[in-house]
Amino acid sequence: MGRETRLKIQEWLATLPSLFWLAVFFLIPTLMVFAIAFRPADPYGGIGPGWTLDTIRSLADAHYLAIAWRTFWISGLTTLICLCLAVPTAYTIARASARWRTTLLMMVIVPFWTSFLVRIFAWKTLLHPEGLIKRVLVVLGLAGPQTQLLYNSGAVVLVTVYTFLPFAILPIYAAADKFDFRLLEAARDLGATSLRAFLKIFLPGIRRALVTAFLVVFIPALGSYVIPDLVGGPSSEMLGNKIAQRVFVDRNLPHASALSVVLILAVLAPLTAVLFLQGKKGRPELFIREGE
Amino acid sequence: MDGFLEFQNVSKRFGSVQAVENVTLEIKKGEFFSLLGPSGCGKTTMLRLAAGFEHPDTGRVVLDGEDITGLPPNKRKVNTIFQSYALFPHMTVRENIAFGLRIAKKPEKEIKAEVEAMLGLIRMKDQAQKKPDLLSGGQKQRVAVARALINKPSVLLLDEPLAALDLKLRQRMLIELDMIHDEVGITFLYVTHDQGEAMSLSDRIAVMDSGRIEQVGTPAEIYETPRTSFVAAFIGDTNFFEGEVGAVVDAEYCRLRVEGLPDILCFNDKQIQPGNSVSLSIRPEKVHISRDKPEESADRNIMPAVVEDAIYLGSNTKYWVRANGHRIQVMRQHFRFFLDEKPIRWNDPVWIWWHADDGFMLDRFRKADAGLVALPPQKVGESDEGSMKG
Amino acid sequence: MKRSLFPRAVTAVVLLFFYLPILVLVVNSFNASRFGSGWQGFTLTWYARLIHEPEIWRAARNTLIIAVSATLVSVALGTAAAFALHRFMGSRLQRLHYTLVATPLVVPEILVGISLLMFFVAAGVGLGLFSIFLAHVTFCISYVAMVVLGRLQDFDFSVIEAARDLGAGWWQTARRVLLPMLFPGIVAGGLLAFTLSIDDFVITFFVAGPGSTTLPIRIYSMIKHGSPPLINALSAILLVITFTAVLLSQRLSRVKNQPL
Repeated sequence: MGRETRLKIQEWLATLPSLFWLAVFFLIPTLMVFAIAFRPADPYGGIGPGWTLDTIRSLADAHYLAIAWRTFWISGLTTLICLCLAVPTAYTIARASARWRTTLLMMVIVPFWTSFLVRIFAWKTLLHPEGLIKRVLVVLGLAGPQTQLLYNSGAVVLVTVYTFLPFAILPIYAAADKFDFRLLEAARDLGATSLRAFLKIFLPGIRRALVTAFLVVFIPALGSYVIPDLVGGPSSEMLGNKIAQRVFVDRNLPHASALSVVLILAVLAPLTAVLFLQGKKGRPELFIREGE
Repeated sequence: MDGFLEFQNVSKRFGSVQAVENVTLEIKKGEFFSLLGPSGCGKTTMLRLAAGFEHPDTGRVVLDGEDITGLPPNKRKVNTIFQSYALFPHMTVRENIAFGLRIAKKPEKEIKAEVEAMLGLIRMKDQAQKKPDLLSGGQKQRVAVARALINKPSVLLLDEPLAALDLKLRQRMLIELDMIHDEVGITFLYVTHDQGEAMSLSDRIAVMDSGRIEQVGTPAEIYETPRTSFVAAFIGDTNFFEGEVGAVVDAEYCRLRVEGLPDILCFNDKQIQPGNSVSLSIRPEKVHISRDKPEESADRNIMPAVVEDAIYLGSNTKYWVRANGHRIQVMRQHFRFFLDEKPIRWNDPVWIWWHADDGFMLDRFRKADAGLVALPPQKVGESDEGSMKG
Repeated sequence: MKRSLFPRAVTAVVLLFFYLPILVLVVNSFNASRFGSGWQGFTLTWYARLIHEPEIWRAARNTLIIAVSATLVSVALGTAAAFALHRFMGSRLQRLHYTLVATPLVVPEILVGISLLMFFVAAGVGLGLFSIFLAHVTFCISYVAMVVLGRLQDFDFSVIEAARDLGAGWWQTARRVLLPMLFPGIVAGGLLAFTLSIDDFVITFFVAGPGSTTLPIRIYSMIKHGSPPLINALSAILLVITFTAVLLSQRLSRVKNQPL
């Protein structure tokens, strides 16, 4: 029995530092958010005394519903576009020769690592009424002088896609890299068209990576704050903006918490669905992050 | 017990699998001892128990009279050659070899001298500064051997060290290992699933199956006098006959009544009495085959048969013949120029015979073991069960 | 087999999409025009102006202090976490541990930010460089752990057994074999943590106090109220720095057998 206890002690010693830190600085704060959602707001800013359900109840407003809905469809649309772009790109990279593959991967990763704010600002410049893209579109006759490219939901979707596309490409690439492409040749040999082989053999083969890519885009997109703040307009306000507004402008922390709870639930929904479906197959791995 | 390395009633279980079941084994000092068996038979577990990477559930491991069961691997005077060699990738060949001595805090001068000597032994003096990723498989193996031997262990444990090498290299390394053992004189405990390796290298072999020892003996003993059907079928090929002792002929022989065949005369070393059932094993190379009926003789078993399959292998031909419902394998070596003879073909009627001394009675026969002998299937899709009848 | 051009076309478009804003940005940082609406000559004025902004230097200094300290702590904690997760995989403790380590990777930053803000307020921790440091370590641990865990999973543990077999105790094995072999992975994780810390905005914004500006926060306020060309120049500089750091990280986290 001495060996078993010794092993147990070793395990606890190795686990305790990170476990403790994350419990204190991640778990507890998250629980606090849940708790504070049940407190009233202090009229002078901050948290009032006692407990109440009013804060939660005040969420059942058409205004908030609209924001929640908008958050949902912008994130969904972004995810869809990302997946549609990521799959062919990951496929191309996986099929490329070794030399090209490394180059292409680097090309995908590099912009990914430039400053997040900087990239958003770059789009702000590009989409500016006097910016490059507007002028090209006007020249091509695709837009009038009054067309607004910036400060609307379209811009938000565009920039969000730009931000999260690499997150989608990498896991799909990791799976495509391990995919045995001779299966597609076998399918062609048996009479299937390229498209059919692609849809019926390749896509199911990388099923898990597609789910990972979905989660890795959809969930952070739900929490978008900076992007709608900088390139979105008043009509493209998302949950993140509302939460920030409540914290910094209205100084209404309980309300911000309540909204955060909504966001947490929105995030948990797809996560639990996926974990539940995958959990039966043993250890669900959320990420295979190559190249990070 | 006067073994040098002993396992005493050792058992080890992993979850629901009993990897080693109540095994007792003694290995003599200086011998080259092999543990031979199929995957999952427990041989690697035995090795790891000797090395200290696994702790037995019951039993003891004793080395040179000292109970080492409770000792961790770094305190045992035992060294291992791993299947993947496990060379330290961030160290040079020289540093790899010196590792054990450095840990033991031997003086620098001594380390230098010993390492140079080892490099000479494995003939890699000019590769001493290289890192493992630049070495070939054979070179890596030699470094692994040097790294272990330099510590002068009491026992060297080898875990299928030749498995990762291709055929030609394997044959060469086989000879090298043999030479190293002769030169160094250390006790070797060698684990393999390859009978060729075990037979050619070992002083003694322990055949294992499903966590148990089937038989321990010299290679020739294992081959010629297998105790069980597993040993008979796992090593080389064989034919099995099940029957009942009909009559005792004299002190040493008896007649076996086997269904469908003329009575078989066999050597009765176990003094089995009439009425008892017995299983007989006879190796294909001991059976003769010819077109013409051989001379009758008191000590020969002769019977007619029909050829069902023949596989020409150059130096010999393997035949499967059917004698009244029994499938028998015959191996015939081509002593003379093959193309001069009229070859024996499919469906030819032939005579097969063997000497009564050449069969061996088994202690234990299991129907399932017959499947270990590779018989060609008789129909497409037929399963691999070597059934003797029909 | 005829290979469709469609995937390759999409890839080209995607890559163009990726690099267009960055190229425009860098080009504009040398553009004499104030609003980037047309090339008005090459100039280095913006870079010069940038160097003379004390606010920027202070923010850069803060960012660096936090990044270095957060990296060191998160590397220590993250490596230990990865080791525990790998060595004791499957136990109940590790399954809980894994959930706790993996979750911050999927949670939106704003949630982490607001929860930490509330925590600090409730615990009476003043909002400043220290609170930012604590926040950065918190989200960096997960990334470092995942990178090192990836390396551990490719790790041939028989090497550890070999070291033990040759007489090394646990500490000697760790020092002479485990850590040197793991070192590239640890450094890769560290570089990752460093870049994440330098670049973080949302979480930092929530837990920063007055006078504890970091570079991203400065950039944000510049975007909202400042001069665009300065931002271009600053961005170009940051680009070069992160590009170099990432290159290094890639080299080190690459498993030996993959083609480079």
